[in-house]
Amino acid sequence: MTPFEIGLIALAAMFLSVLAGLFVPIALMLCSFLGVWAIKGTPLLASKLMALAANDAISSYFFGVVPLFVLMGFIVAEAGLGRDAFDVANAMFRRLRGGLGVGTVGANAIFAAITGISIASAAVFTKIAVPQMIRHGYAPRFAVGVVAGSSVLGMMIPPSLLLILYGILTEQSIGDLFIAGIGPGLLLAVFFAGGIILMAIFTPGFVGRPEGAPAALPPRALLAKGLPIATLIALVLGGIYGGIFTPVEAGAVGSIGALLIGLALRRLTWAGLWRVLVETGLVTATVCFLIIAAQMYSRMLALSGVPAGLGAWAAGADLGFWGLMILYVLIVIALGMILDSSSIMLILVPLMLPVVVPMGVDLVWFGIVTVLAVEIGLLTPPFGISVYVIKATLDDPAITLADIFKGAAPFALIMLAVLALVIVFPMIAIGLVPGR
Amino acid sequence: MRPFLALVLRCLDGATQALNVIGSGLILLLMILVGVDVAGRNLAGAPVAGVPELVTLSIVAIVFLQIPQALRAGRLTRSDALQGWLEPRHPGLAKWIETVFDLVSMAVIWVIVSTTWPIFTRAWERGEFIGALGDFIAPTWPVKLTILIGGSMLILQFAARILRRWIPLSPAEARP
Amino acid sequence: ESYNVTVVAGHPPVFRWVRMISESFIPAAQAALEAEGHSITFSEQYGGALAGVGEELEAVEAGLAEMGTCQALFDPAKLAVQNVTYYTPFVSDDVRLIAETVNDLHRNHTEMNLAYAENGVFYLGAPIGIDDYALMTNFPVTSLDDLKGRKIAAPGAAINWLSGTGAVGVSGNLTTYYNELKAGVYDGVLVFASAALPGKLFEVAPYVTKMGLGAQYAGSICVNAEWFVGLPAEVQTALVAAADAAQVWYHDDLEAFVQIALTKMAEAGATITEASPEMRAAWAQGMDNAAKTWATELDAQGKPASLILGLYMDAMRAAGATPLRDWDKE
Ligand code: NA
Ligand code: NA
Repeated sequence: MTPFEIGLIALAAMFLSVLAGLFVPIALMLCSFLGVWAIKGTPLLASKLMALAANDAISSYFFGVVPLFVLMGFIVAEAGLGRDAFDVANAMFRRLRGGLGVGTVGANAIFAAITGISIASAAVFTKIAVPQMIRHGYAPRFAVGVVAGSSVLGMMIPPSLLLILYGILTEQSIGDLFIAGIGPGLLLAVFFAGGIILMAIFTPGFVGRPEGAPAALPPRALLAKGLPIATLIALVLGGIYGGIFTPVEAGAVGSIGALLIGLALRRLTWAGLWRVLVETGLVTATVCFLIIAAQMYSRMLALSGVPAGLGAWAAGADLGFWGLMILYVLIVIALGMILDSSSIMLILVPLMLPVVVPMGVDLVWFGIVTVLAVEIGLLTPPFGISVYVIKATLDDPAITLADIFKGAAPFALIMLAVLALVIVFPMIAIGLVPGR
Repeated sequence: MRPFLALVLRCLDGATQALNVIGSGLILLLMILVGVDVAGRNLAGAPVAGVPELVTLSIVAIVFLQIPQALRAGRLTRSDALQGWLEPRHPGLAKWIETVFDLVSMAVIWVIVSTTWPIFTRAWERGEFIGALGDFIAPTWPVKLTILIGGSMLILQFAARILRRWIPLSPAEARP
Repeated sequence: ESYNVTVVAGHPPVFRWVRMISESFIPAAQAALEAEGHSITFSEQYGGALAGVGEELEAVEAGLAEMGTCQALFDPAKLAVQNVTYYTPFVSDDVRLIAETVNDLHRNHTEMNLAYAENGVFYLGAPIGIDDYALMTNFPVTSLDDLKGRKIAAPGAAINWLSGTGAVGVSGNLTTYYNELKAGVYDGVLVFASAALPGKLFEVAPYVTKMGLGAQYAGSICVNAEWFVGLPAEVQTALVAAADAAQVWYHDDLEAFVQIALTKMAEAGATITEASPEMRAAWAQGMDNAAKTWATELDAQGKPASLILGLYMDAMRAAGATPLRDWDKE
């Protein structure tokens, strides 16, 4: 058997073992081990690959701050700031069908300006938004779908870890990429909101039956409920854009801020804080363990040559610009089903670069297209990391993985539509970038 | 036999929880560390050396210290569609499949733990570090040690799942 | 005989030291081996596909790849003495000279190769030189006093260079320089021209002061020792020769690009100035001798750092460099 064939078998094996109910990280690790053994002919090398990935895969500053972002969100939820924010949103959007869903998207767009990684968005809003949406009568499946869908904003709206990675891979200015992410990110938020309203009107069975228009809040109550969370947002955004701390450090500063606000309002007890810490640890461990496993799997696939073969085939196919872009997006989405976001970029972008550069493609625009396409993979089975994060954070056996994937599906389709728009109208991305 | 088994499982759960507490403490420490660094840099012109390095090291420790508890708490990611379908129809078969899955999981984690052992001993003997000499360095062996400890505990928790499945304990016996 | 070789680099192929492998090393090795009647194919695993930056040596040692970029700069615990240049600033801004000197040290002194042997790899060659580090700031710099209290980011060991300048040294890396400079988290960075242009750093730190902090050595191509020892002599020779060709290719390309980078940054409105000799001298004199501390610490671990420090400084002086400090003799 050639390594390529082994790679293909490993793909099928991963699908089957995940469907059969093996723990997802174990399934990925097992397929990587057997795959490398088959490719390299020795179990020793296979076990070394696994151990190196376990030791190194998440050992970076960027991953290191994931628990701090999760912690910030959980403290916000524990201190009731999240509930207050949703009462305010509910009062503001009360005439809108699906108003809380729209509010969640909006809140996620704001949070996206703080975090650079979608995992954090998914974890935080599962804690804050899902219980509130269910409390107000939304279907659980829809509630988790909204959170899964809007979590992708965390990577589109700057700062964004994936755009930084793309910038390094292609030597494009990360500043330009960040600016180019704003338009598509906001467009995505608007489309998500529009989609939610349409779904609330036309598919109430899917959305659930939110209680009739809630009572308007008096301005005093609005202020009392809105002020704490607004203070926290101002602190974090102001700190980042005022040069006090970096977006990477924002998780820690935000956690401290949320902690102080919670203690000042006497809404946070030490016991509650400890509970939140433990919960943060469990979610972080679950998600990062998955990422370690995904890294092993992606390294095994790299050795098999399957992704490189796919990319080389796309790059070599003489399809013209539009044919190539469509094929590229399809391959990215297909790989998104089984690989994590950064692995796809690491494997595909360097392969495509020599092909698209002679075509005169704007590499900043190409980066936005790539990241949007890669992010669809966060929502698609069997390996959809946003969905997994929500499942881990939710800790509710009544909502299954399949429910979350189904709830997220409309949002994956909306992403596809926005992706098509960005491909057809590059100005959405590069319109704001100076010098283009 | 059963009281002894119950005791062993209680001890295992206790140790798992202890690791969980250490991991949670690390998160709190990270928060304080980054906060002090930001404050020191802006207010006193004196950043704390080595914060990125410590963050980089801690995340691996946090994950491996907490993953056994994540399994114990039923948080490890999986699709339960097949089990949900099988359980009421063929409970015996479902039990066997689950057991095979747990054994496979133990083997997979064993591969990681046993291959990390030489990495740990070397880091220990040679004093491998992260950071830059002259500015800040931290040894890497403690993190490798957490992989060994957390991984071993994870294997034991998988074994405990098998035991609990085949030798049901009364609530009183299983009480932590 | 036909050989299959996996080559690993943590950086993606836009980096010159990765392009050096695809564009120079591989064709040279293939041509040389074909002339001997062999054939060789390479599986190129770059950009973290198989191992990340600083993990290449581990991957080569494990045998997951036969060769790779062993990045001393990013793997300072395993390749400690190889980082000698990062502890000796103000020695020379001639990147080709520094790369040649470090390469010669490897070729002529067993002490330089101990670290590789300890880790199951073998030094093949193709030293990766980094062009002269400059100071890029969002404020003009005419004297050392201008740096007082400013937050200047520097990577890894280079943070030691800021001791005694009055600046606040913040540990940072290329990936975030642009945004942190723009937001004002840093007021400046220590960076080299060939990275500053593609990162557009001149937009947010338009004052480029050529301090002559010095060109550096970052790493080399290394090979799995067990695999390499098992190769026939003519194959070994061909691979070493290919590494030598790659070294020339890399530094030709780099030196040409440094000129382009400086010109383009100036055209884009950056203010590029040479630091005055007085300022350079004041900076150098005010520094702690981090090289001494570094060497003492490593000596205590049984690594021949003082010896290498002396050999390196002697070789540079012999080649005509005029270090501002004799780090080895103080
Ligand atoms: Na973001
Ligand atoms: Na997916």
